[in-house]
Amino acid sequence: MRKIGLLSLVTLFLSTLSAQKVDDQLYLLTSKMNNIGLSVISLMDPYLSPLTYTGNGIQFEHESRRLWSLSNTNISMQNKIELEAGYLLNPAQTSSMTYLELNYRYGIHYHFKPMKGLLLLAGGSWDVGLGYKEVVRNINNPVNVDLATNLNLSGIAMYDLPFQKRILRLQLAVETPVFGWMFVPLAGASYYEMFELGNLSNVSHISSIINKRGINPKLTIDIPFNRTVWQVGLKYETLRYAANNMVFNKNQLSLLVGTTFDMISFGGRKRMAPVNFLSPND
Amino acid sequence: MKKYSSMLLFAVLLFPSCMNEPAMQPNTYEGNFQALWNIVDTRYCYLDYKKINWDSIYTVYHTQIPAVNGQIAFFDLMGNMLDELKDGHVNLYSDFDESRYWKWFLDYPSNFSSDLIYTTRYLGENYRIAGGLNYGKINNGQIGYIYYDSFEDPFSDDNMAYVLNSFSTCRALIIDVRNNGGGSLDYSKQMASYFFKKTTVTGYIRHKTGNGHSDFSSPVEIVTPAHPTIQWQRPVAILTNRMAFSATNDFVNRMTQAPSAIIVGDRTGGGGALPLSSELPNGWLVRFSSSPMFNLAMENTEFGIDPTISVALSPTDQENGIDTIIERAITALK
Repeated sequence: MRKIGLLSLVTLFLSTLSAQKVDDQLYLLTSKMNNIGLSVISLMDPYLSPLTYTGNGIQFEHESRRLWSLSNTNISMQNKIELEAGYLLNPAQTSSMTYLELNYRYGIHYHFKPMKGLLLLAGGSWDVGLGYKEVVRNINNPVNVDLATNLNLSGIAMYDLPFQKRILRLQLAVETPVFGWMFVPLAGASYYEMFELGNLSNVSHISSIINKRGINPKLTIDIPFNRTVWQVGLKYETLRYAANNMVFNKNQLSLLVGTTFDMISFGGRKRMAPVNFLSPND
Repeated sequence: MKKYSSMLLFAVLLFPSCMNEPAMQPNTYEGNFQALWNIVDTRYCYLDYKKINWDSIYTVYHTQIPAVNGQIAFFDLMGNMLDELKDGHVNLYSDFDESRYWKWFLDYPSNFSSDLIYTTRYLGENYRIAGGLNYGKINNGQIGYIYYDSFEDPFSDDNMAYVLNSFSTCRALIIDVRNNGGGSLDYSKQMASYFFKKTTVTGYIRHKTGNGHSDFSSPVEIVTPAHPTIQWQRPVAILTNRMAFSATNDFVNRMTQAPSAIIVGDRTGGGGALPLSSELPNGWLVRFSSSPMFNLAMENTEFGIDPTISVALSPTDQENGIDTIIERAITALK
């Protein structure tokens, strides 16, 4: 009888401990945003043509943000991947350009909370981008590649706006390149000479605010529904850079639609999910 | 701190001229003329070499603009201006026409007849085809003969391996590139690689580094590799005529350095620069010679390459079904 009682007490004590562990443990959420967009693009690449090509494009963005650590909740990390594709025409519509771009960005921001409902993030990011532009009609210079990496200044403002029964989140994000490196060939050098004959002189350029300027404000609204938070927004990008006596520019206006959600992940031996988190794999 | 911030701001504002785009020409006769003239003035590579007074040509043709009536007349005016460059790599392309300068071969005997090479004396009707290569044995099976009519037509290493293997009992090879107007420099290099025992510098290329007529880079070596597995080291003759142009001209230049090769026929047509292209405001495309290529002695190859053995197609021989140039090559390969 005593043994049963003792066993019951021990079991009760252990289960109590377990419950306390679930209630007191803090977890970092990762905010994820996925957007698709339709764009209007104008682009000038003097290596391919002296004319400005204009047209439409589509893009996909995936962004995730997470606080730095449980012990430091004033800093957050950002990872972002962007894919773009565009089809552009010259002014006379006698020639077309296919445009593809892939960009990865990693950012770190410090959080400021000047007032209730307003969150300001200030910091920087590093990005690396690969672009491909093709004008099939061209002879021996049908393709130009954009390859660049940048350090950027970055800022985000978020404001929670109560609206009827919802809290809408307005977000304005802005970024501008400050310093980096870019690949820009000489106007008279063919890709045959550069990559078959291995002559890569004058293709490597340091970029700074002197020869590369851009800004890409993005305004979005998060609208929560029963189970999903939808995000709609507008993004404008303008970029101008110069090297080898050529000035390149790109202007793009995009309408974005997507979803945003917070998620938490468990995995491995040290980050096992507590018992009150149910997995379909159990 | 304020002082340095102001200086930095001033420096940034001072540099916008680094990123000023050149003014775009309007889509008018005048604007398109200026655009075309400027493209040639800043990017065409042979103005000094050919001693062309491009400023004078501007004056001659600019005065004709007011008399132009319609797109076709304007196209002809622009095409005639480009003809002053006397360059087969210079063309103006519109939706309705393509300007060209063909005197580099029209002013000379053709020295080729496809009717001749497909007679029973040479390829006949039952020749084999591997990729872009038409081939067969001639001269009682002693000579392997390949006719390759365009460096735009692909051929693989496997194709060439089969071809050369079929010629294993032949004492020599003829590669006929007469009337081959060019195409891919990659195929030119590939074809030449079968005839080199070791990687060899066979020429040079330069590119424009600025808008000046003589703003060029230092010469960059053009190398012909030795193919690692497919080799023909017996005698080979390359047959040429005035229509052997551009990539064919490059192939012939490479083969002048091949150990067992001779060039037989007429001087090649030239076309010794890699052409690039640009556009006019009205959407017309202009192709122009941009990166000049040189032989091993740093001589320009724009006006062609002389053969080792100069031979012309005899009309009498032609009437008798004999290709004088092939026969002379057969004799030289003994």
